[in-house]
Amino acid sequence: MNSKLTPRFLIIGLVLTWAIWAIWPSFQYQRLTNSEKESLREEGKLEQLESRIIKQGLDLKGGMYIVLEVDLPTLMENLAINKDGKFNQSVNNVRDQLALKPEADFFSLFSNVSIENNLKLSRYYYDYGSSNDDILSALGEESEDAINRVLEILQNRVDQFGVSEPTIQKQGNQRIIVELAGIQDSERARSLLESTALLEFFIVKDITTTNELMIKIDQALKGNEDITEVTKDIQPENSEVSTSDDDETVSVSELFGESGDTTETDPGVTNENLIKDRPFSAMLRNLGNTIGVPSKNAYAVRKILERPEVEEKLAAVGGTFVFSHKAEDYPTADGDVESIFSLYLLEDQAELTGGVVEEAKANLGSQGTTSAGQPIVNLSMNSDGARKWAIVTGSNVGRQVAIVLDKKVHMAPNIREKIAGGGTLIEGFANIDEAKDIAIVLRAGALPAPVEIIEEKVVGPSLGADSVRRGTQSVIIGLILVLVFMLIYYRVSGSIADFALIWNIVLVLAVLASLQATLTLPGIAGLILTVGMSIDANVIIFERIREELRKGKTPQAAVSGGYDRALTTIIDANVTTLIASLVLWQFGTGPIKGFATVLFWGILISMFTAIFVTRTIFNSFTGRKGLTKLSI
Amino acid sequence: MRIVKDTNIDFMRQRKLALILSAVVIFSGVTSLLINGGPKLSIDFKGGTLVSVQFTEEMDILAVRTAMDNVNIDGQVFDFSKEEIKHFGDLGAELSAVLIRVPHIEDAPNNFAQKIVDHIYNAFPGKVPENKTDFIIVKDTVSPKIGSELSGKAVMAIISSLGLILLYISIRFEFRFALGAIAALTHDVLITLGIFSLLGYEISLPIIAAFLTIVGYSLNDTIVIFDRIRENIKLSKRDTYSEIVNRSMNESLSRTIVTSLTTFIVVFILWFFGGEVIHNFALAMIIGVVVGTYSSIYIASPIVIHLHDNAIK
Repeated sequence: MNSKLTPRFLIIGLVLTWAIWAIWPSFQYQRLTNSEKESLREEGKLEQLESRIIKQGLDLKGGMYIVLEVDLPTLMENLAINKDGKFNQSVNNVRDQLALKPEADFFSLFSNVSIENNLKLSRYYYDYGSSNDDILSALGEESEDAINRVLEILQNRVDQFGVSEPTIQKQGNQRIIVELAGIQDSERARSLLESTALLEFFIVKDITTTNELMIKIDQALKGNEDITEVTKDIQPENSEVSTSDDDETVSVSELFGESGDTTETDPGVTNENLIKDRPFSAMLRNLGNTIGVPSKNAYAVRKILERPEVEEKLAAVGGTFVFSHKAEDYPTADGDVESIFSLYLLEDQAELTGGVVEEAKANLGSQGTTSAGQPIVNLSMNSDGARKWAIVTGSNVGRQVAIVLDKKVHMAPNIREKIAGGGTLIEGFANIDEAKDIAIVLRAGALPAPVEIIEEKVVGPSLGADSVRRGTQSVIIGLILVLVFMLIYYRVSGSIADFALIWNIVLVLAVLASLQATLTLPGIAGLILTVGMSIDANVIIFERIREELRKGKTPQAAVSGGYDRALTTIIDANVTTLIASLVLWQFGTGPIKGFATVLFWGILISMFTAIFVTRTIFNSFTGRKGLTKLSI
Repeated sequence: MRIVKDTNIDFMRQRKLALILSAVVIFSGVTSLLINGGPKLSIDFKGGTLVSVQFTEEMDILAVRTAMDNVNIDGQVFDFSKEEIKHFGDLGAELSAVLIRVPHIEDAPNNFAQKIVDHIYNAFPGKVPENKTDFIIVKDTVSPKIGSELSGKAVMAIISSLGLILLYISIRFEFRFALGAIAALTHDVLITLGIFSLLGYEISLPIIAAFLTIVGYSLNDTIVIFDRIRENIKLSKRDTYSEIVNRSMNESLSRTIVTSLTTFIVVFILWFFGGEVIHNFALAMIIGVVVGTYSSIYIASPIVIHLHDNAIK
């Protein structure tokens, strides 16, 4: 073999190895049965696998796609004070204009109408500024805030549906797209998305109660076969996880009520005993003053918490376990990071609900206070709320109060002193964004933003399955026909093109898997189209080589001449299709985007396989001495 | 194996004939579009509700129509019997899937689509799956608001891709080549649009994607020929422009046929096996492949010659 070719073969080899590596999880996932998936989920390994596979779009696996829109005119009406006929008329005027021209910007319309009608906005929105411009920009921020609140609420709720990989995205500045795969009950999903948020304040139970309860749960579960089955693959790490507030760290043994110092004994031995003796707490981590649940164990822990014997123990102490809204990364003893949820044991009755919140604003602490320059949230409550708040804080000084939105803890600050008057200051945020997020959560219950569903699409599971079956069938039949045709038409050279074509498809799938792109039905069509079109580059080259051979050139000269002359043609011809696919990608949503992605990568990769891969193979052929005839 | 040996077809002499053929097809398509008041748009663009449901036995459309003449939703009574109601595809069991399309209704009751589904479900006891989830094949509601936005975006997408392509070809070739290419693909999209209108098929979002792909494919084909023309112009100064173009087309004819054939095979397979959802998408592609190949020979190149001759005069 020509030594100049070795690096080229090396590159091809590397790319192909990468492709197989990238595509393998998708292949593996396809072959899993539902029960195997379920057991992987309990072990917490499914998520890891799912993060590396080609996702199927809603049109393929069935599911629900919803577009929600914040109703800006109504929101503005809700915000205004001293509304009169002139104001109502102006807002209705804007509403009518929007109905005719939906893509128009609400605020510029509102601005025009208020100028026309000589409407002084400061009359209705004196809290927001004095000039019309100031008020409009403040109202603009308010509407953005409203959509952020809705987003927060939805993200909070969506895993109640129990679907994998829900997507919630903001689109523009007044829309939210929700995609729920494989959803069975669209009515329930709809009502959950449309209902208003529930914000509650709970007192967190003290550590002693928590520890005692955990021991009781462990004892209740001990020796239960089901549980041992669930937890058999759990790797407990009985080492402490370092947290930011180290001085307060309670060691694992204290928290879990173990008297011996477990960290000194051989962890391997301890782990086995640990799981057998304490099936529940073995799955948890110590995060200082809260309990941590590694996200890979979260599913198993939830299952345990739903068991009747565990619920009985919880009822006995009047408590309820609530997860934090998201997992955070903590460094582990061996230098890795682990994503861990917090688990809080709360009183089972809420002290207050979000209806009492009047305002919540993120700020930097003012000079002269202890929190100067630090991000803080100022929370104010109405008189009724403030009265209750004073009693709650007064009798629970030193304990934590959990801010719970739709059954998820967003924060659990300590109560430092009795708060009279409702004006509360929350501190302890890492940065101002974190403070802003909590302010959004606190306001979620206070000012519900009016949202409406403007698009809803449900694809039943039967149609999706049918599409996948037919799509795959079409790809395979189309591929085989093209392969056979090339083999007959170009013989040995055709087999090289066939080889390149197969790799082309594998590479496209590998790229899709590593981009975590979504394969849609038009995407499958794109794949088929790629089969047809990517062969084109080889056809152009082969026809050129034939021409060169007809001119009487040697195989070597014909191959190199053919490739050289075909190169510009191939590039020019493909760039235009690339342009079309990029525009499609830009314009499209969901399925169309899927099509554009496949087409784009298909063309790009076909250029690589046709120009680089097949040429390398040809060169290794023609490099041999004495080759007088080319099978083409 | 070779399908075409060295050919010397005088494509340019046939161009008048081709022009008449194209004109006839485009004219009938455009007439149909005018009569119908533009292309038949799907609910993606118009807004409205589409439900498709799966019965357990063969269904008579008339029976479904009758059941739809008195739909009581939260006290409001609707008559949907005159709306579009037809069989939906072939999901294994023939004639048991039914599609119902209802235009957008101002102030429609909440969760309107689901309530239509419920109504049909209750109207045919014993003929529906036990589990209501298995009953729904597709349920789709789009507000006209989103629809009109989308139409605007689709038009923008087509215009901007045409613009970019025009720019690219002008840079790589000459401006008259760009005009020739744009004329060819406008021709292709017009014909496809016209055939869809004649057949009474609707333009949905995937069809727009198909159109843009046709644009890409048609160009691909056109540019391969242009490329050959460019090369041959450099090589021979003696021949007339028309001769060069003609020779270029003959030289690349074999490639044109092979590529069109492989692409045609795959989109045909897709049309044949792909199922209801992809059916019309594949049809648009089939028309596109055939017309795209034709137009790169008979539309794009003659225009380039015409513009060249005019420039010389």
